[in-house]
Amino acid sequence: MMFKPSSPLFSGLLWKIPWRISSPQKARQRKRLRAVDRVVDTVSAALARNGETAKPVTRWFNEMPREEEMVPKDKYTIFDKKEKKYRKGIHKLPKWTRVSQRVNPPGF
Amino acid sequence: MSYFRIQLVRSAIGLPRRTTDVLKALGLKKRMATVFHAVSPSVAGQIMKVKELVEVQEVDKRLTKQEVHLERKPDPGYYVEKTGVAEFKELRRR
Repeated sequence: MMFKPSSPLFSGLLWKIPWRISSPQKARQRKRLRAVDRVVDTVSAALARNGETAKPVTRWFNEMPREEEMVPKDKYTIFDKKEKKYRKGIHKLPKWTRVSQRVNPPGF
Repeated sequence: MSYFRIQLVRSAIGLPRRTTDVLKALGLKKRMATVFHAVSPSVAGQIMKVKELVEVQEVDKRLTKQEVHLERKPDPGYYVEKTGVAEFKELRRR
């Protein structure tokens, strides 16, 4: 048989996101997390030198863990109520390389 | 008086409209653009909105667009020789 019907061939455009994230992707994810930490550190240090504070900066320090404080589970997966064990790869999150997703909903 | 040196490293294409608006308010129109803003809580709040897209440094002086460009200019690989008299005159003028 020449034609083997499969979902990508059968329908038109069908992209699939792999269920797990590769190790270079994980490395780049860690790099991005550290870059965001660096930006927040720079901003807060500059404000502190002027004797000022900003609400979003203090709130970030109160609520968000740093890259080195995060467990791998939180770095590479996110909560999803529709998944079997309530977790899915962070690469399924739309625009995942440009959004901050660090904490879980209470109880998860 | 210190300044934030902010460079847009990642574009805001496909992100919420608010993100693009904040970048516009900061004066960042395209990727790799650099702007300087005085350190203040309001600018800090704006940076926090786009922290995933920018690189930030604290600097003492705000540079002009040309000075930022000249930082990246490579060495031309040559220099123009001058006569001893011209060089002497230039030194005296300083």
